[in-house]
Amino acid sequence: MTKKYLRMTLNERIQHLNLAVNFTLLVITGFALSFSTAFWVAPIKDLSMGMTYRGFLHRLCGVALVFLSGYHILYLAFTERGRGIVKDMIPGLKDAKDLWETLKNNFFINRPAKVVKMPRFNFREKLEYLGLIWGTIVMTVTGFILWFKTAWLMYFPMWTWDVAEAIHFYEAVLATLTIIVWHLYSVVWNPDVYPMSWAWITGDLTEHEMEEEHGMELERIKAQPKGEMREYAEAAAVGGGRVYAIRRETTEQDGRKTPSPRRFYKIVQGFNETIKNWKGT
Amino acid sequence: MNWREEENKAWRFFGRGLPVFLTMAMMLGLILGGMAGVARGDNSLCFGCHQDESLKKQDARGRGLSLFVAEAVFKNSVHGKLSCSDCHTRVKDDKHAEGGQKAADKRVNCGTCHEKMEKEYLQGLHSKMIMKGTERAANCYDCHGKHNVLASKNPKSMTHLSNIDKTCDRCHSDVGFVKEHGLGEAIPKEEFRKSVHGKSGEVTCTSCHGSHSSLRSLIDPKSTIFRSSIPQTCGGCHPDITKQFVESVHGVLAARGRSDSPTCTTCHGFHGIKAKVDPDSPVNEKRIALTTCPQCHAAERISKEYKLTTSPVKSYYDSFHGLSYQGGDTYSANCASCHGVHDIRPSSDPKSMIHKDNLQKTCGKCHPGASENFAKEKMHAVASIRGEEFGEKVVGWVRVVYIILIVLVIGGLTFFNFTDWLRKTIERMH
Repeated sequence: MTKKYLRMTLNERIQHLNLAVNFTLLVITGFALSFSTAFWVAPIKDLSMGMTYRGFLHRLCGVALVFLSGYHILYLAFTERGRGIVKDMIPGLKDAKDLWETLKNNFFINRPAKVVKMPRFNFREKLEYLGLIWGTIVMTVTGFILWFKTAWLMYFPMWTWDVAEAIHFYEAVLATLTIIVWHLYSVVWNPDVYPMSWAWITGDLTEHEMEEEHGMELERIKAQPKGEMREYAEAAAVGGGRVYAIRRETTEQDGRKTPSPRRFYKIVQGFNETIKNWKGT
Repeated sequence: MNWREEENKAWRFFGRGLPVFLTMAMMLGLILGGMAGVARGDNSLCFGCHQDESLKKQDARGRGLSLFVAEAVFKNSVHGKLSCSDCHTRVKDDKHAEGGQKAADKRVNCGTCHEKMEKEYLQGLHSKMIMKGTERAANCYDCHGKHNVLASKNPKSMTHLSNIDKTCDRCHSDVGFVKEHGLGEAIPKEEFRKSVHGKSGEVTCTSCHGSHSSLRSLIDPKSTIFRSSIPQTCGGCHPDITKQFVESVHGVLAARGRSDSPTCTTCHGFHGIKAKVDPDSPVNEKRIALTTCPQCHAAERISKEYKLTTSPVKSYYDSFHGLSYQGGDTYSANCASCHGVHDIRPSSDPKSMIHKDNLQKTCGKCHPGASENFAKEKMHAVASIRGEEFGEKVVGWVRVVYIILIVLVIGGLTFFNFTDWLRKTIERMH
């Protein structure tokens, strides 16, 4: 039973799930149009009005994403936790240094490998988040231009619409590839977390994960006088959001425990740790 | 008795020849009477042998030829009241049964009675083929039958509307025959019958190909299927369409003899024409922009030959309309939606759907409230930095910049993560 550090509150996890589902659907329905002759689009071809449904779903998910973005902006502005996130997300010189040091580590230029202590949101996540903001803005704006073609063309020439179409497509390619090679590396293929980081479901990171990826944050937490403290936006009214963790330190009890998803996650995480700490037989 | 002593006047009148005369008369009577067997109406002498089903002979090439004639069938036919020798004029008695090629008729000449038809037939293609030496080209009896000729109005007749295709198929669907005589491709037997023409029950081979004198070679300007005459042939039943077509750009060019310009059969096919709603039809809405129009308008030879600078098909496929269409969307515009079907005119023609004054209305058919900006720029634009129009160039640059950006960014990110993964994996191996 290792210590856990809260990474994403339930609210944030739901926002993230919303984003993941909508993004995935947008990608699939979007590329189903621009690669409409691909083999995987063939089933839609035989479905009556298949392409029409595709278009409808694409716009629906787009609108959902716009609403999610709106909610997220309000969340960032009007909750303490949200404001904390904004503060910690601002990129700085440290992040560039971290990137450079990590690169040197990876090329075995630093021998032995230098320990890089990174903040709450390391350079990976900052890059990811900024990319997300940029991508969402671009796709939303061009998306609406494409959607309301007749209205747009009342005021602007056709070539502007064609430009919007090209940007919408290429930005989509860029965003999708970025998610695959950057974000999915961070949370799936990175040997430190493989087969998958559970933070997006349980909300927690293990001590080991914190050491690897957010060493500076871990130190800060540990340096706090009361030991392990966590940010709990839901408890903002009580201690400014900082309270002792109440949940999660389960003790052994007689008899069988009631089955719960939490317990199941623990079992899988146990496996995860065994695999990660595997040093050979 | 001494004839000098005869006193009877009759005997004196005829002279000594009377018995001879009488005998001759009797013989003549007998002969003529005997011929009554093969004279008008009574064919029993012929049928005596020819109703034997196994009766056969060998023809000039040594092949077996049945000599069986079904009496009932013959009696039922339009010639049923005639005698055999009315047509088989060289057969008068049963002497031919002794054998020998010269003993019997080689060929019956229908022209003896049907003079006008024979004259017409001689102008047609089958006759010309025979004269050139093709024995097996269709003769009168190949289409009309031999002993079973029925009036064309009779549903059992070989030349009844519903049976003509079977009659023609006997040669034109026989793969061996077609190959031997170089007739092109054998017509699949069911193709016409399954087509929209065949199913209607009102159209058959002769409706378009004619018969007798109108059945002519493809390259005969008088033929109903001569390329420049095809719109008129189809127009016999589809007059409104033909009227539109002959004024359209394709119609005008085809009439002038430009073989690259399509006529009716180019897009619709000839024997297996299917209805527009049939998914196999080349003019089905789901296929128009994939095969029917691109077969010429995306052909390299045609764009090179006629110096067409736009790539209409490629630019269409890259546009929203084309992409959605290729995914099976039938609401999206295809070629015909904007250009028309039989009334396709060049954009310089004020009556054309794509004339600059009409474009807004054409777009407006699907985009209600379409403004002028819909129609102002080049329609089939191909984004390229070397494009003709400003819009094409701008989009071309957007593409170039983004592609470079994608390569650099994704390349960089992949490279970074790959080294990360490599190091961590190596560390774990120790």
